[in-house]
Amino acid sequence: MEIEIQAGTEAGVPAPETAQERTVGTTLLEVSDLAVEFRTDDGTVRAVDGLSYRVEAGRTLALVGESGCGKSVSSLAVMGLLPATAHVVAGQVRYRGDDLLAMPRTRHRAHCGRHVAMVFQDALAALNPVHTVGYQLTESLRARAGMSRRESRRRAVELLDLVKVPNAAQRIDEYPHQFSGGMRQRVMIASALAMDPDVLIADEPTTALDVTVQAQVMRLLAEIQAERQMGLVLITHDLGVVAGVADDVTVMYAGRAVERSAVRDLYAAPAHPYTRSLLRSVPRLGTRDDGHDDAHDGARRGRLPVVPGRPPSPGHVPSGCPFHPRCDMARDVCATDRPPLAEVAAGRSSACHFADELLGGDRG
Amino acid sequence: MAEEGPKDDVVLEVRDLAKSYPVRSGVVLKRTVGQVQAVDGVSLTLRRGRTLGLVGESGSGKSTLARVLVGIEKPTRGTVLVDGEDVSTMSRAARRELRRSVQMVFQDPYTSLNPRMSVGDIVAEPFRIHPDAVPAGGRRQAVAELLELVGLDPDHVNRYPHQFSGGQRQRIGIARALAVKPRVLVCDEPVSALDVSVQGQVINLLADLQDELGLSYLFIAHDLAVVRHIADEVAVMYLGRVVEQGVDRDVYDASGHPYTRALLSAVPVPDPAAQADDEVLLLDGDPPSPADPPSGCRFHTRCWLARQLASGTGPEAADAVETDGGPRVPRRCATDDPVLVPLGRHDAHAAACHFVGAATAVSAARRPDPATVPDPATVPDPRGS
Repeated sequence: MEIEIQAGTEAGVPAPETAQERTVGTTLLEVSDLAVEFRTDDGTVRAVDGLSYRVEAGRTLALVGESGCGKSVSSLAVMGLLPATAHVVAGQVRYRGDDLLAMPRTRHRAHCGRHVAMVFQDALAALNPVHTVGYQLTESLRARAGMSRRESRRRAVELLDLVKVPNAAQRIDEYPHQFSGGMRQRVMIASALAMDPDVLIADEPTTALDVTVQAQVMRLLAEIQAERQMGLVLITHDLGVVAGVADDVTVMYAGRAVERSAVRDLYAAPAHPYTRSLLRSVPRLGTRDDGHDDAHDGARRGRLPVVPGRPPSPGHVPSGCPFHPRCDMARDVCATDRPPLAEVAAGRSSACHFADELLGGDRG
Repeated sequence: MAEEGPKDDVVLEVRDLAKSYPVRSGVVLKRTVGQVQAVDGVSLTLRRGRTLGLVGESGSGKSTLARVLVGIEKPTRGTVLVDGEDVSTMSRAARRELRRSVQMVFQDPYTSLNPRMSVGDIVAEPFRIHPDAVPAGGRRQAVAELLELVGLDPDHVNRYPHQFSGGQRQRIGIARALAVKPRVLVCDEPVSALDVSVQGQVINLLADLQDELGLSYLFIAHDLAVVRHIADEVAVMYLGRVVEQGVDRDVYDASGHPYTRALLSAVPVPDPAAQADDEVLLLDGDPPSPADPPSGCRFHTRCWLARQLASGTGPEAADAVETDGGPRVPRRCATDDPVLVPLGRHDAHAAACHFVGAATAVSAARRPDPATVPDPATVPDPRGS
């Protein structure tokens, strides 16, 4: 096991030798037709409904959607960390071909701790306040890699250096509350990288952070991903954040994927009305399409384009296309027929009856 | 602020406001070992019917300033004037009356609403403190009207906060703030906890309410894109000080302070092509502790411009100094505390940087004209894949 940073971010350059070789494009993690249900007082509720995605070495997949769309639940299912009230009812999660869900839970968890790691949104909640950062980093190294105390400590300092925590050798003995939000998130990333995983799943890693720190953390994740040719899954509700780092985007709504596109295609012309609404509702710096030219004229600015209503909660998913009550393109068929996720252009899928129209209209 | 408007136009003014907290140590006998200057000499003006955006990172003092403005905290120094009257010198009764006119909308719609109170009780709570503010129709009627005003169903008055989504809870928070008919709303990160599609709804609601009720907003956020959409004027804070202020166009398109420029470049642009073009002026690390602010210009330890100047060929490079552990910066940055100086274009635009000229030049060169942004299809893939 090694921790040194290796050059070689271009496709074709051999990936650093690790437990198994990572060649760009190798499928590391494949989720197919995943469905997760929760038991609630009102019966069972389907939070994830037929989700499929693939994570390749050296590539970044963004899983984008709003609260309750199932993006976090699906990752917990991948990791084998679903709460007791939830269970996978269908689908496979294959790591390098092995179905993790078919394994006994303990083996599934062991596999995940080692090869598929996760960074959670709330770093303060994820760190134990009564132990030093060093203890929490070395604990897993000793338990999983069987390292000695001294060895694990040396490695933990290396990990903190890797995620650019200044004065790592001193700060390793401090407690989580002595770290700022951004530094805590770096500690969480270091902890996730401890076993040099193939796949890193980052669940809203920057949502609680300032824009400046967000930029730092996103850059760090992108660097580490490129250096190690990891597969990176970025879970977020903010399309702005992933524009610069993701290769592929899967947009989720009400537990299902509604669009799957390469990042450039998606931003150039979204293939689903929900994606389009999400893109429009991101406030932008450069544009002020409200004619607010003179700040002194007292004229009121225009309104932000918004998606009316709010995302449905699991268990109250509308019939037909789940987005139809909020969709400005909706017609009669949308309320009755659920559109499947189908290829609409080369390498692009959309679950919209009128995706062709949407793509044609935006190009014209 | 440098600009002198007609006096009756100003609803809220702060002059040289400071708030410090003691740092205590010791287990039994607490000794004061220092002071944290959370807000250190801030002057701001808020005009009637206008929105002043206040931006900065965590620890810049923007939330402390908000708490002083609504009276949760007492300032250590300086004055708060509401409608031209000094809040600190007036009688208790008059102060309470005035406090009514400045209300607050909190950041987290999950923790700022009491889960054991019904929505009706939450929205009517300000009437308990200000009984004279209850309109003629009575509380019940007033609550129904308030819920209607913020786009909630008045029939839901008996529901509890957990039955509402984040965006709806923030609407409840806004209804509560509006109950006593304030003239100023201090909004502390009102949308940062919400989903993107819901953020827009709440911002639009605030804009509608402003038009309808003639409200003035102090809008605090770390998201500069959100602030741009709602603010007429912007003040940028760093470690307790205002480092730049002005009308939004000046601050955003002709930034005079390297910190503003860096904040702007950190905003994620929802466009892969633009992200490749715009080099991010990454700010290293976190802001220094306000308990021990850097000497000279407080920003010099993280300033990209100071580093650029010190490593350049100009006179500043020859005179550059090494700060302890920090980068080499021009001597002035490490020793002299810059003051806000007006920047030609509008009187109100001012920045506190020794090298305002250099900063503005960089801003002008960096901000691409939207019309000339190249077509994404012709731009090579920045990731080289």
